[in-house]
Amino acid sequence: MGTSRNVERRTILKAAGATAATLGLAATTTACGGDSGTSADGTVTIRYAWWGGEPRTIAIKKTIALFEKKYPKIKIKPEFTDYEAFWEKFQTQASGGNPPDVFQNAVGFLRKYDKRGVLMDLKAQADAGNLNLENFRNGVLANGQVDGKQIGIPVGANTMALVIDLKAFKKAGVEAKFGWTWNEYFAALQTIQDKLKIAGDTGYFNIMYLYDLYLRQNGKAFFTDSDLGFTEADLTQWWEDGYKRVKSGLVADPKKIEQVKPKSGLSAGLAASEFTWDNFSIRYQGEGDSDYGLAPIPTTDGKNTGQYLGSLMLSAFSGTKHPKEVAQFIDFMVHDPEVGKIMGYDRGILATTEQYDAFKPTDPNNKGVSAYEDEVAKAGVLGKITPHPSGADVIEAAFLRIGAEVSQGKAKPADAAKALFSEAKAAFAG
Amino acid sequence: MTLVKEAPVRPAKKRSAAPAAGRRGRRRENLAGYLFMSPWIAGFLLLTAGPMIASLYYAFTSYNLFTPPKWVGLDNFTTMFQDPRWQKSVEVTLKYVVVATPLKLLLALGVALLLAQRRRGQALYRAAFYMPSLIGASVSVGFVWRALFSDDAVVDRTQKIFGVDVGGWIGNPDYVLYSLVALSIWQFGAPMVIFLAGLKQVPQELYEAAEMDGAGPLRRFWNITLPMISPVLFFNVLLESIHAFQVFGSAYVVSDTRCGPADATLVYTCYLYQKGFKEAQMGFASAMAWTLVVAVALVTAVLFWSQKKWVHYEEAAK
Repeated sequence: MGTSRNVERRTILKAAGATAATLGLAATTTACGGDSGTSADGTVTIRYAWWGGEPRTIAIKKTIALFEKKYPKIKIKPEFTDYEAFWEKFQTQASGGNPPDVFQNAVGFLRKYDKRGVLMDLKAQADAGNLNLENFRNGVLANGQVDGKQIGIPVGANTMALVIDLKAFKKAGVEAKFGWTWNEYFAALQTIQDKLKIAGDTGYFNIMYLYDLYLRQNGKAFFTDSDLGFTEADLTQWWEDGYKRVKSGLVADPKKIEQVKPKSGLSAGLAASEFTWDNFSIRYQGEGDSDYGLAPIPTTDGKNTGQYLGSLMLSAFSGTKHPKEVAQFIDFMVHDPEVGKIMGYDRGILATTEQYDAFKPTDPNNKGVSAYEDEVAKAGVLGKITPHPSGADVIEAAFLRIGAEVSQGKAKPADAAKALFSEAKAAFAG
Repeated sequence: MTLVKEAPVRPAKKRSAAPAAGRRGRRRENLAGYLFMSPWIAGFLLLTAGPMIASLYYAFTSYNLFTPPKWVGLDNFTTMFQDPRWQKSVEVTLKYVVVATPLKLLLALGVALLLAQRRRGQALYRAAFYMPSLIGASVSVGFVWRALFSDDAVVDRTQKIFGVDVGGWIGNPDYVLYSLVALSIWQFGAPMVIFLAGLKQVPQELYEAAEMDGAGPLRRFWNITLPMISPVLFFNVLLESIHAFQVFGSAYVVSDTRCGPADATLVYTCYLYQKGFKEAQMGFASAMAWTLVVAVALVTAVLFWSQKKWVHYEEAAK
């Protein structure tokens, strides 16, 4: 009996130990996932999150090393994923009150997270002298402002462009010139199709930001402060025309475009041109076999392109425990010339004059982007960015998805437009 | 003699003297058991039961993760039933379940019948056929599948040899779901192993008797094998249909996280995920989750009810 009791006690103890260990383990994990803190020697750790491909991550890690050297009392903990995963993760972290202290942001998300109280107004830190709000190019600083608050600090600026397959355009004998109209653009696509037997465009009508430009050319815009800035009839027309051009082969077969993903339809040789952000054009050279160049956005009236400077920015978490260090870090990242040299035009043309002057592109891609933006700025067509209400991100995804249904012949343009408006209503309410 | 005398005494003594101590001992034993189980119990309560109860509550609220949930009653359910995308997701899922499950089981049974016969290298064959089930759920297989079924890839080229030109399945809303079906069928290993075990249980005498009566292989299969393995078949049908209702990973990866093109692979869980984690409509997503639970429960109930008609248990036969 005695021995058996001993055995029992031992098993009980072991079981208790195991339980304690498990619970302890859980507790430590929670602690690890918890907020960044201050260590005994006064070193502060802040979390910095961004999305993007491998080249961006390598470059950013270099800039972090540079910052930590200059500020030995501040440690940066990097977090990075691709775009889709980034916002899913961010949403979960932010709702749990545990978002990164500093993170990459874009205009489509500003109001959404401002409304939810996640973003810090960096004006106070600027007033305290921890962050410099001077020397931003072309008024791009305004991109990070919502209702008088500075909730994003631009790191780069970009604008929409038409990327063209230079060889194909040359072979077909068509020229993309500044101020050309949509009719001239579609005529060029027709010539390309006739002469080269390939489609001219990869699917322009699914790109929300391009439709925004088209609307702006016609005195409207995709978004107003709190709603959509166009009618169901406008969108029906836009998609009807688009679908017609898919059917006639002017625009590439959406099935094929889908197949080659993540490669773009342009670099896969399925079409001769593609609308996108100018700084994205760097990818094509690596992906495709042809030479690529930037061409002007077609217009309605021969002048107004509807363009503006969009940008990626850095935002800070309103509840961070280290607002001062966070501000110092952002200041370093947007103003330090060395950081500009390392980052180049990966996130658009560098936003501050210090960084813009420090980085002089030597490769043809970056040079091309720079020349393109210079040209656009000189033409004086740049307007102010239109607001993106809370829910804009959901609407952009819906626009892409429903547009794809139209181009695949799975939805009638009128029904599709109706569906988008109904989804937009839900997104604005959410 | 003494031994014989003593022997019955000992148990008698124990039985009469120790009920209280025995109960205490058993209680202590139970306590140890519970302690050993406690990590699991804690995990179950914290990670499964708790969230489930919470999600049941959220199903009746409007909840965007940031502001506290607002009670909206049945609103989520009424919007859900009217939502054309939700209807589409139900349609896609049902199509997937109805096509993938029987095909997978058919293949599993077919291969199990072949592997049940004694031949050299049997273990190797079994392992080889089971292998896909082990790796099938991984993301990398989803990517491989994407590569296989894309335009101008292996499947497309093979089809073209036979004069069928659909230009790859991935970008085509009419075909892409069938690439997921193919992925599911390919992972027939688990039901196959269960079928194998079932086939081993069929008494050999039955076949011998049937053979003597002049029954051919088809007749033997239909009149002996199938009824004898019907409990196993029932188990597999049940398990695989429940499994199919919950398909997610393959749809998510093959269609590049968008469950498309044109919502062609918008399976139920994929839409649920989009609503919850992309659009932050946790209330709606919870309502969807509970609707799925109820639907799967109903399907299970119907299957259980139907088994009286086609499943033969040996005791019942006797």
